[in-house]
Amino acid sequence: MKTVEAEVLVIGGGATGAGVLRDVCMRGYEGLLVERSDLAMGTSGRFHGLLHSGGRYAVKDPSSAKECMDENRVLRRIAADCIEDTSGYFVTTEKDDPSYSDLFIDGCLKTGIPVEEVSVSAALAAEPRLSPRISRVLQVPDAAVDAWKTVWGCVRSAQDHGGRALPYHKVTGILREDDRVLGAVAEDRAGDEVHIRAGFTINASGAWAASIASLAGCEGITILPGRGIMIAMGHRLVDTVINRCQMPTDGDILVPIRTVSVIGTTDEEASDPDDLAILQEEVDQMLDDGETLVPGFKQARALRVWAGVRPLFKDSKAEASSTRDVSRSHKLVDHRERDGVDGFLTITGGKFTTFRRMAEDTVDAMCAQLKGERACHTHEEPLPDSEERTYYTLGSRLSAREEALHDEQIICECELIGRRALENAMQRRGSFDLDDIRRTLRLGMGPCQGGFCIYRSAGILHSLQSMDAGTATTSLKDFLQERWKGLHPILYGDGLRQAKLDDWIFQGLLDVEHLPGRAGIKKAGGEKA
Amino acid sequence: MSADTVVIGAGLAGLTCALRLAEGGRKVAVVAAGAGSLHLGGATIDILGYDPGVVASPAAVLGPFIRAHPEHPYAQVPPSLWAGALEWLRARCEPLPLMGSMDQNLMLPTAAGALKPSAFAPESVAAGDLSTGGKVALVSFSALKDFYPKLAAANLNRAQPGSAERIEARAIELLGTVAGEADPGTLRLARAFEEAPFRAEVIARLEGRIEPGERVGFPAVLGLYRNPEVVAELAERIGAAVFEIPTLPPSVPGMRLHALLSRALKKARGRVVLGAPVVSSASYNGRLQSVSTDTGARRSSHEARHFVVATGGVSAGGVTLDSSWAFKESALDLPLDGVPPPGTERFCPDVFGSHPASQVGVAVDEEWRPLDAGGRVVYDNVRVCGATLAGAEPHREKSGNGISLVTGYAVADAILRS
Repeated sequence: MKTVEAEVLVIGGGATGAGVLRDVCMRGYEGLLVERSDLAMGTSGRFHGLLHSGGRYAVKDPSSAKECMDENRVLRRIAADCIEDTSGYFVTTEKDDPSYSDLFIDGCLKTGIPVEEVSVSAALAAEPRLSPRISRVLQVPDAAVDAWKTVWGCVRSAQDHGGRALPYHKVTGILREDDRVLGAVAEDRAGDEVHIRAGFTINASGAWAASIASLAGCEGITILPGRGIMIAMGHRLVDTVINRCQMPTDGDILVPIRTVSVIGTTDEEASDPDDLAILQEEVDQMLDDGETLVPGFKQARALRVWAGVRPLFKDSKAEASSTRDVSRSHKLVDHRERDGVDGFLTITGGKFTTFRRMAEDTVDAMCAQLKGERACHTHEEPLPDSEERTYYTLGSRLSAREEALHDEQIICECELIGRRALENAMQRRGSFDLDDIRRTLRLGMGPCQGGFCIYRSAGILHSLQSMDAGTATTSLKDFLQERWKGLHPILYGDGLRQAKLDDWIFQGLLDVEHLPGRAGIKKAGGEKA
Repeated sequence: MSADTVVIGAGLAGLTCALRLAEGGRKVAVVAAGAGSLHLGGATIDILGYDPGVVASPAAVLGPFIRAHPEHPYAQVPPSLWAGALEWLRARCEPLPLMGSMDQNLMLPTAAGALKPSAFAPESVAAGDLSTGGKVALVSFSALKDFYPKLAAANLNRAQPGSAERIEARAIELLGTVAGEADPGTLRLARAFEEAPFRAEVIARLEGRIEPGERVGFPAVLGLYRNPEVVAELAERIGAAVFEIPTLPPSVPGMRLHALLSRALKKARGRVVLGAPVVSSASYNGRLQSVSTDTGARRSSHEARHFVVATGGVSAGGVTLDSSWAFKESALDLPLDGVPPPGTERFCPDVFGSHPASQVGVAVDEEWRPLDAGGRVVYDNVRVCGATLAGAEPHREKSGNGISLVTGYAVADAILRS
């Protein structure tokens, strides 16, 4: 058994947890974050990548809308390298109530969201694939945000301020003495127990927050996992975020992010936040919804489908128990007030766009409980790589690549990843899990879905980390299996043909399915060195 | 244009069928949407590698396999035809000798370090057979991103073939650029190996590094068309047996086999039109009259007495699935067999599992003519061969080129008899 100490323990490695860790460390506390898998593997890495302007909530939920717009401005300032400034259109299609657009403008004006009317012809000139049957277009400062880069950016920033993060550490118990939480017990990837002693513990585990709270003996909180599916299409069908101008509903948003466009989403109440099954009807509905926005949508190559869960908070200790209490804006639970338990806060709900604000509120509450006010600076200091405050663009990687065109191997042609970038990421992550590298670099996320780059990456990883062949083989096969999870429900057209070519390569040519992996290996991962 | 037979598809099935017909005196035209799928594979003729355990002898297992899988294309092939088909290909491959037998699978090292069971392979590839173990040094270039000798060698050392003889594998990596290039592809390397100074440089860099009794394995880049000479020179100057391991597509051994068969076909006065997908067809009274191809510049109509569909399976584009989940045979819109009913699983959650949709293809009668759902012949003068046929899982079974060869041969046989 290993023991680790920290002033503040943060449970959960999504945007909220990473934001809390950064905030805690910037206020001068010694922070430690634990995450059961890799960073941004839960809800944060499983949304469509929209940096909200607040437009989607302008009519329905003005306070959320205002909060989104405020944080949109902050993130553009501190995390520019994680953002593509795509802008966003709210379009009235033939299926939408035309009167909603006036309500929308009104809502934007009241909540401080800059909104501008764009003529339909100008919008179609800018976005020629957009349905010509739209009747009105309103522009707001939506953007696309790279969740993995943002979360890792927060953790790197926290590390610059003395913080630590331990991915692949699953919390199995909360250390509690009388009315005080004193840290947690976690299990690392080797299955060993790690005792983490901390003066203060923040539960930022999102959709999993109720079970962590219950480990601390704080019962009665329910997190309703709101499950939604998203499909990444293998092209930039649009370069501007497209929203249907209507009350938010299923399949009404298309986000261009990096090399793909993501359509989302559905909203089904799930029973288990880890139940991420994809239903055929949902896929069909989403593809049909895509047709409404972009005619011919279904002819594009569908690359991947996935489900994410929104944490919707419900507290049986609140006066009413009806679902009307469930709120989409974030919930901070002070367990001293609620349960008489000291040194323990739960933060859940909210949106990716507002994660920094959620962290600020949480750490403010912690400071108040510790009776030591310290000012928050997370809205002032840029994340690593965002110091120059320039947004990334679709062409960023290509222009970098062009400089080294003849000097370096290109390992992933789809996402333009050169050998040096790959080796650096492998070394930095210290992970033998190619799926971790995928999220760090977008390795294998383009149209070939890893068909070519994953064999190469396994070979490079094996040689670089001087690992045994069984581990490298396991990593290769795990990647293929993981990729298949998001592929098999949406295989048709060129995507299916590609999958069959990949099958030809891995089974017909390389015979990898008969290669033994490493026995008893757990889902691997690495603590940052 | 008018021919005796129009073959649609330029993979192994199409080329085999067309060449055999041309040699039989028929006027043959091959039209293909792409360049032919031999470019993708390693040019090994896999007959049956797994059932589901590893198959030591295809000859011994084929009978029981066919009885257990009556819907498999092999079940349609008359047993008497096998020997002829294999001998026929062997003779055509004389410039790049085909080694192996039906009696014992070769165990060929793959670029990932697995041992893949293949009945036949080009001599340079078959020379890597590890079914009885052996000492091998895998040589590659750090600049080649499609072959990782360290990983392959480490995996081979774990994968013992089960005989008393052991495999001892190690890697030799030649560092630096190749012919001044940081990122040369396999094809670029194959061309470099056709240059004497490049070969001399490689030989010099290997001097003193090969141990006695070791065979030397290279990625399959030892010359594009002058492979036997390149291999012979390397073997002589290195002083060891030399073999090749197929790499990721484009596969140089596959390109060699494609070029060999295409050349033979042209010599036999067959016509080959690549980049010409079939876009429409005309039929009358149960017989196909013509197919039209579209090369982008213009449409051409091809009339014939016989037509052969050898367009491949899903990976080659012979069978497609659209976003409303409808499967389609892409050239003639033939009825498809094995289509999972609506609402049922098309692909299972295990990536290497047996997927219901992977056996979709055209069902045929004993004359290889396409059948509809009621078992009726769709066109009297159309025949189907290769991966377009229903009932096989070539990548899982390791039967891809085997199916293409024997069914392509059998279809030619049926046309020649008719």
